[in-house]
Amino acid sequence: MTRSTLGGAVLRGTVSTALMASLMSAPALAAPPVDLSKWSPEYVRSIAGTQDFDTAGDCGKVTPLDYKGRLTFWYQGVFEGDPDLLRQYYKDFFETFRKTYPNIQLEEQALTYNDLLDKFRTALLGNAAPMAVRLQILGGTEFASKGYLQPLKPEDVGYSTEDFWPGAMKAVTWDGVTYGIPTNNETMAFIWNADIFKRAGLDPNKPPATWDDVVKYSKQIHDKLGIAGYGLVARKNAGNTPYRFMPQLWAYGGGVFDETTANPTYKDIELNSAQSKAALQASYDMYVRDKSVPVSALTNQQADNQPLFLAGQLGMMISHPSDYNVMLDLQKKATGTDKDKAQTVIDNMRYGLIPTGPDGKRAVVFGGSNIHILKPEYVEGGKVDEPAAKAIICMWTSPEWSLKMAYAGSNPGNLNGFKTKWMKERLDSIKFLDVTTSMLPYGIPFPALPQSPEIMNIIVPDMLQNALTGAMTVDQAADDAAKKVKDLMGGGL
Amino acid sequence: MTIVSGKAEARRRLQPATSDVLRKMWEHRADYAYVLPAIAVMLIVIAYPIYYTIELSFFNTPPGLQLRDKIFVGFNNYTAILTSGVFWQVTFNTLIWTAASTFISFVLGFAAALALHRDFIGRGILRAILIIPWVISAVAASYIWKWIYHSDFGIIGAVLVELGWATRPPNFIDSVSTVLPSLIVVNIWREFPFAMIMMTAGLQTVPEQLLRAAKVDGANAWQRFWHVTFPHLRNVSTVTILLLAVANFNSFIIPWIMTGGGPSNASHIWITHIYELAFGRQRWGVASAYSVLLFIILMTLGYFYVRALSGNERKDGSA
Repeated sequence: MTRSTLGGAVLRGTVSTALMASLMSAPALAAPPVDLSKWSPEYVRSIAGTQDFDTAGDCGKVTPLDYKGRLTFWYQGVFEGDPDLLRQYYKDFFETFRKTYPNIQLEEQALTYNDLLDKFRTALLGNAAPMAVRLQILGGTEFASKGYLQPLKPEDVGYSTEDFWPGAMKAVTWDGVTYGIPTNNETMAFIWNADIFKRAGLDPNKPPATWDDVVKYSKQIHDKLGIAGYGLVARKNAGNTPYRFMPQLWAYGGGVFDETTANPTYKDIELNSAQSKAALQASYDMYVRDKSVPVSALTNQQADNQPLFLAGQLGMMISHPSDYNVMLDLQKKATGTDKDKAQTVIDNMRYGLIPTGPDGKRAVVFGGSNIHILKPEYVEGGKVDEPAAKAIICMWTSPEWSLKMAYAGSNPGNLNGFKTKWMKERLDSIKFLDVTTSMLPYGIPFPALPQSPEIMNIIVPDMLQNALTGAMTVDQAADDAAKKVKDLMGGGL
Repeated sequence: MTIVSGKAEARRRLQPATSDVLRKMWEHRADYAYVLPAIAVMLIVIAYPIYYTIELSFFNTPPGLQLRDKIFVGFNNYTAILTSGVFWQVTFNTLIWTAASTFISFVLGFAAALALHRDFIGRGILRAILIIPWVISAVAASYIWKWIYHSDFGIIGAVLVELGWATRPPNFIDSVSTVLPSLIVVNIWREFPFAMIMMTAGLQTVPEQLLRAAKVDGANAWQRFWHVTFPHLRNVSTVTILLLAVANFNSFIIPWIMTGGGPSNASHIWITHIYELAFGRQRWGVASAYSVLLFIILMTLGYFYVRALSGNERKDGSA
């Protein structure tokens, strides 16, 4: 693994790219608890374990610990692709909350990423929403713009706006008002199997530097070994697709709008620019021309790539650090010779930075989730127990729990989480964590628009599917997608 | 006869008729009381949603606005649907899906019913086995079939490659040309037991003496089937086909779970498309317009279903 070069690469990246500026450009960048300009694996290690926090004490100042109330709460929880470790932390969180606030009657409901939006939208139409909700980063502006959410800022639950990534705060801000608090922020990394690289005649310790290299490496792996090279994902209405395609699109210099700039206006549609088409062409080349990616890419999700990777049938993919733990979980469940094969794959699992585009641009989706409070008129029973809602929000977004709930796969929304002892423990126990943390400065948030869920979950995957199935040429698919975005932004039917 | 006396005559004729109806209604007041709760529930859970869907179909619902802020657009949603390429693609898919699933399920179900109508050892066990696909949860079945069809590690592909009959697994659900037939196979697998049960029930009503008489008259097996059994099953066949057609038109679980309508809309049928428009894209207005059109089609099928049932009743009554 090329871990020794990561620090330099990240430092160069932080200084030179406008992507960093995008994350740091919020006006509230007065005094964050950590120095974002120094961001590097070494810096993250240096601050880990330097401060203690009293979660119950801090939240007790927001909502007294003996407060008696009732709270309905929906959240995007763990799904089949998450490691067991994360399940345990979710369990621990709710147990701790009930112990800390024994008089709050909590009725929580976990939903997966792909189901939450549909169910939440339906509940809102019937004024049957929960009092508080934790949504994926895409959802905030949609519901804020429609007037479903109450204004809610970190200061309301005892923190300051500077405690959170400025880029993440953009995703909870609509029309100048803050409507939520980030719980976690994530960036993914590039994963490869060193043994497959070696057998395919590639340098096992060197990941592809550019997306053009990914196309070449994928073909080489497929031609030499007869297995899939790169784990392309193009399913519709699944969060996995934009999280894996957008880094490629941005690296080539494309975009849906101008979301990669420091101060995006979202006015001009870039989906059919030459750069965007080049990114789509790269996917086309891998899927259609070279047939070097899983055939099931059009209907699968990342959860389908994981067993392929563990079986040694996939050379490269984009994912979280948690995938390492997922592999360990899956390996434990394997039997006979499969167990040894899986161990070989785990031993050869490597993490690196996501490749750049032809111009050296590196990008990754600045993902995560946010927590919100609903307006009473949209809630079942017409009442919101605000102190109870603030109690759970204070706990979840605390340095301790925002770190623990993102333990294996993500990063704490509250920047103070990086200073806790659990961050130190995590850096020691979660392999490759520093690689994904290193990708944070390259993170680009999805456009903070109410139309974003449709663009990312429907239009972008449709564009991929139209090109990859041959239903349209690459040019036609990109033009069609751009037209759909234009119609959508124009309020068309 | 003058106009005045004509009217009086008409009133005289009407009065006994009206009072007769009222008298009959009064006599059956207990029956009305029994069905009243059901009618009340239907009005709430069926009539109002139908009215609201029709109303909503005349509005635009952009993603940035709440539903209550919807914008009146008249028939624009209907125009947009009928001029959209996706509509015709989805309609074509729906027709293929419905016709193929209904016809093949019926034929297979009928054939299985005929085969199992004869008395032989193990018939009961075979019947029970054949009913399994129908009683399995559609969700579970969809996930299992998705795994069976998987283009990279599906069981069919693995067997074919292992036997040397293919160099790489066939592409069932990741290709625009094979996805719909592949899903239709799954649907038929799930539905033909229903047709089998219906036709088995029908076969048990064919009078044995008619078949014996035909045999005595020298009719061979095919002639007995075609001239005695099949005509006798006409009504149950019609009902079975109509029920299958309505169910297939309304199908959602199999295509949604297995492909989500993809790739590239190749397996989108009306219901999955409506769901995506409404819940994925929040185009409640367009989705409602689609639903109204679907409602009209299904009501037409429903009309024929009721007519078929009424035909049965009339026949039974006259027999």
